[in-house]
Amino acid sequence: MNTGEKCLIIIPAYNEAENIEKVVDNIIQNYPQYDYVVVNDGSTDDTEKICIEKGYSVLNLPINMGIGGAVQTGYCYARDNDYDMAVQIDGDGQHDVGYLAEMVRLIENGEADVVIGSRFVQKEGFQSSRLRRLGIKMLSALGLLLTGVRVGDITSGYRLVNRRFIRIFSEDYPADYPEPEAMIIAAIYGGRITEYPVVMHERAGGTSSITIGRSVYYMIKVTLAMLIRRLSFGVRR
Amino acid sequence: MIPHILQITLSIAVICYFVLILYYLKKKYLELKYTLLWLLAGIIMAVMIFFPQTLVWFVKLLGIESSMNGLYVLCIAFVIVILMSLTSIASRQQAKIRILIQEISMMEKRVRELENLHDGCRDGSSVQELRQDQQYE
Repeated sequence: MNTGEKCLIIIPAYNEAENIEKVVDNIIQNYPQYDYVVVNDGSTDDTEKICIEKGYSVLNLPINMGIGGAVQTGYCYARDNDYDMAVQIDGDGQHDVGYLAEMVRLIENGEADVVIGSRFVQKEGFQSSRLRRLGIKMLSALGLLLTGVRVGDITSGYRLVNRRFIRIFSEDYPADYPEPEAMIIAAIYGGRITEYPVVMHERAGGTSSITIGRSVYYMIKVTLAMLIRRLSFGVRR
Repeated sequence: MIPHILQITLSIAVICYFVLILYYLKKKYLELKYTLLWLLAGIIMAVMIFFPQTLVWFVKLLGIESSMNGLYVLCIAFVIVILMSLTSIASRQQAKIRILIQEISMMEKRVRELENLHDGCRDGSSVQELRQDQQYE
């Protein structure tokens, strides 16, 4: 980064022993301009051991908190260490750090407060199943309805935020299935949200946290969470 | 009206209820703050048992036919309110635990890096980070 703005990569990891080395070594070797922090969310496998042995920058949560609490820890860390930007990526290697330079530029130029790496701007790479895409479309429509902001890939876990939203997210971040709800928070606080086209890889190893059986629960929980989030802000303003 | 035998049974039950709460409070197994609702429920139940006219009046007010049914409705209402307050307590505790976990993890990282520094800088990368950390403070 030429302007000297500091960017932190937050890598939440729950039982990602298979992938974590590849993801972190890739950042260390190919993108040394970014700092990173692994948030080990109380993993029961060797994630912690690997991170400590390899001397990675890692926050070990003593108890499993779920993705939301883990990512929020990263934002707290970014806030306490005075980072200008923070980006969250998945610990399983789905997200390509190569796109980050362009995303960072959008924030440095003041064009956006939140940049979401989106699969659906250019429909390339891993697109996930048809049913899942329908679910994402529904949530995206709900987000548009509630906030007037259109975000296509509303469930994308690849998002870069500026200093202001580091602070906001470090204080208030949803606990489980946080992505769509966090988007509502960003929109309500008046953040300019931009989508940047990325190509996502399929998971390298391990299993996705959202199984088919949980999908219905996911949709109900996330829809309600978005509605309640919008309502509670409506009252406050 | 409530039959007299039932009135006696219920009186004993309510007395046991109060003794139990007081016992727990004395042993500090219960926080007084969280038992206020229980005590309020007990007082209202005691009033209705010792002065059945109040129960009859209340039941008529709600439009319930039998006063026994009224008693049940009242009990269930109290249980639901107490359960809701419990859920709210659990949720607030979860929010607090979350902050604690996050603070612990950040502190553990600092301690680990300080230890590495202390152990003769065996770990180059984390020492660098530590120096960075210190600059920002």
